Amino acid sequence: MTGHAQKLEVSSLTVTGDGGRRLLCVDSLTIAAGSAVVVRGPSGAGKSTFLYALAGMIAPETGQIRWGETDIAPLPEPARAAFRRRNMGFVFQEHLVFEELSAPENAAIAALYSGRADRGRIRDRAAAELARLGLDGVGTRRSDTFSGGERQRIAVARALAGGPGIILADEPTASLDRDNADRLARDLVTLARTEGRTLIAVSHDPALHERADRLIDIVDGRLLEAADG
Amino acid sequence: MDEIYHALPNWAQDVLVTLGLLTPLLVVGLIVLRGFHVGPLLLGLLRRQVWISAVFTALIAVSVALGTGLIAQERGLRQGTARAADKFDLVIAAPGSEITAMLAAVYLQPSDLPLLDGATYAEIAAHPRVSLVAPLGFGDSWRDAPVVGTTAGFVDHLSEGLAAGRPFTAEDEAIAGARVALEIGDSFAPAHGVGDAAEHGAHGDFAYRVVGKMPMTGSPWDRALMVPIESVWSVHGLANGHGPDWDGDIGPPFSPAHFPGTPAALVRAESLGATYSLQAEFSTAQTMAFFPGSVLARLHALMGDIRQVMSVLAVITQVLVTAGVLAGLMMLTRLLARRLALLRALGAPRRFVFALTWSYAATLILTGAAIGLLLGIAASFAIAAAITARTDIVVAATLGWPEIHLVAGFVSLTGLLALLPAYLTMTRPVITDLRG
Amino acid sequence: MHRRRFLTLTTGLLGAPSVLRAAEDDTLKLRALYAKDGGFSDLARDLEGKGLTVEGYMAPPLKADSTFFVLTKIPMSVCPFCETEAEWPDDILAVYTRRVYKVAPFNRRINVSGTLSLGSYRDPDTGFLSLVRIEQARYSYA
Repeated sequence: MTGHAQKLEVSSLTVTGDGGRRLLCVDSLTIAAGSAVVVRGPSGAGKSTFLYALAGMIAPETGQIRWGETDIAPLPEPARAAFRRRNMGFVFQEHLVFEELSAPENAAIAALYSGRADRGRIRDRAAAELARLGLDGVGTRRSDTFSGGERQRIAVARALAGGPGIILADEPTASLDRDNADRLARDLVTLARTEGRTLIAVSHDPALHERADRLIDIVDGRLLEAADG
Repeated sequence: MDEIYHALPNWAQDVLVTLGLLTPLLVVGLIVLRGFHVGPLLLGLLRRQVWISAVFTALIAVSVALGTGLIAQERGLRQGTARAADKFDLVIAAPGSEITAMLAAVYLQPSDLPLLDGATYAEIAAHPRVSLVAPLGFGDSWRDAPVVGTTAGFVDHLSEGLAAGRPFTAEDEAIAGARVALEIGDSFAPAHGVGDAAEHGAHGDFAYRVVGKMPMTGSPWDRALMVPIESVWSVHGLANGHGPDWDGDIGPPFSPAHFPGTPAALVRAESLGATYSLQAEFSTAQTMAFFPGSVLARLHALMGDIRQVMSVLAVITQVLVTAGVLAGLMMLTRLLARRLALLRALGAPRRFVFALTWSYAATLILTGAAIGLLLGIAASFAIAAAITARTDIVVAATLGWPEIHLVAGFVSLTGLLALLPAYLTMTRPVITDLRG
Repeated sequence: MHRRRFLTLTTGLLGAPSVLRAAEDDTLKLRALYAKDGGFSDLARDLEGKGLTVEGYMAPPLKADSTFFVLTKIPMSVCPFCETEAEWPDDILAVYTRRVYKVAPFNRRINVSGTLSLGSYRDPDTGFLSLVRIEQARYSYA
């Protein structure tokens, strides 16, 4: 089940918003398997659109989004969701967790909608990731009793529980204080790198920029390659 | 198929119908929930929205209670009134309203009936196929208890043996119904008339002494005092039913010439065929013979028609309430949109979000329906107790198959309706919802 | 009473194939069950304990909310009982329904289906004797 890191090839990608406004235009982009990439840019430049398109949550108008051998751009929504489920882990800006569930339940949330055969593995991995992130032994406490930093670590454990080859993160440190942000930045990159996962994070946090293999800037929906970080 | 169904015992038919009604819900449930484990998130949802969930459930419960209570109540009333009339096969009265005569003779409702004369009564009593005939002389009362003049034979027929004491053998002796506040040895003075219009002391110093007590019959007769018909005539200053050569033993035979009349006579025939032929024979210009059971069945049919109309209204109410609840759910799912979008973003299939929303609605419906069923039975217990207290007709409220069928049908129908809000949540824009 | 119900219930179950057979047969007239001498006909003896369908009219019920009624050859308004002095006229039949039945108008012809039972039986509730009965019965309008 553990996915292997996957190379990303994007070509001729355009994403159009409401009223035909062009949100994103990527001629060509290749990201090597197992690298940690941080995307940055002014707000409204199309960073999140880019990330959500890579995740298959936005259907592009034209172009290809090739993860390994699979071009997810032409796939119908259920197939894109299935691809996301099997290959990707997602960390959001705000520590979005199900407050009334416990940390292990949140981390293993995918077990609720995955095939019976995968459930045990997801739960085991979720527990292991929580332990790695220093959240072992928290028992069945409701998640809303955790601090913001802890919740975001639960979210990271959740992203890793499926054993994905790809980790996508949308401003993962934005709502954390400095200490927690630093810790999360370190954890994310370390966890991705030691397991050979491809990490793509949208972030304006220098702590993440420092640790990235590569920085990509987005301005007005277009990619500008920055100097390697 | 039809014949196989009819070969089944009743309980199996009822179970089968219940399952049949539940099948749509079960099939939909299995398809919707297949492969998913919605439990933890469903519980989380219920905990998070505990008050809204409780209010929705309560609304459904009350509307279901209305429908089931109505059915249970009508059945209880039907059974209770029928049981109270069990001992009255055939009643003969002077021509008039069968319903009035039945209400008077069987349920002891005060009414003004014309009298059967002595010759007619003697003709009935002398009929070879009659095994029991007894006059029923109403009109007097003691407090709220009607005092009915009759014969010891009738008391025996009605009570199937006294609970205590012995039959009356003298004009001043009486038998008390089980719920009359008089014990053996107590005395009471009859008043002329019934209720507020009763004239106390109209019968002089005459007093009865209770010599026997009836067992419970579950009918208004439990509240009645039975006395020799001779005494009723006597205290009204009439002949006492016996000629000058009377030996002094009360009860039949009566002398037609000295028989002041009776508002009604209970007749028991020696056989089923005889009961029908007596009814035909005494349906004449001078007499009206009727089966209280048939009259009651007509009233029941009327009551059933009214109940059906009300049932339709109750069902409409249930469906409307549920529609309202489902509309509320749609608004609720907007509040939950972010959490549902999170699931979608994490890669949960659309179908999972659909399953989660539907199972939330189904949980409210099932819980509400179950509580409503119990509530309906509880309500009909309360109403039954009130009816019993007022009329002395023992009305039992029970949980019957018709209520279960109604609830099963309701649950299935609304379970299907709940697919709609579930579908609508599935089509919401993920990213917009996710950003909140 | 319960024992009798139980027995007829089991015969009803075991007799399911015969119920199927009876459904294919034509509906019987009441008179077909009685011989000229007032006893049971050969047909009645053959059908004892088996399923059958008989047509007739429902006499006004003696009891409300019950599972018992009398099936007559002609509508009660014409009164079959007035015509004969016989104790058990040959054109009536006691019917015990499986459920509390809805009263049919006395002039509507009905078909009663159930299991035929012969021999004298005293109803413990009404105290009345019957010689021929259809038990586990249901009816439909003809």
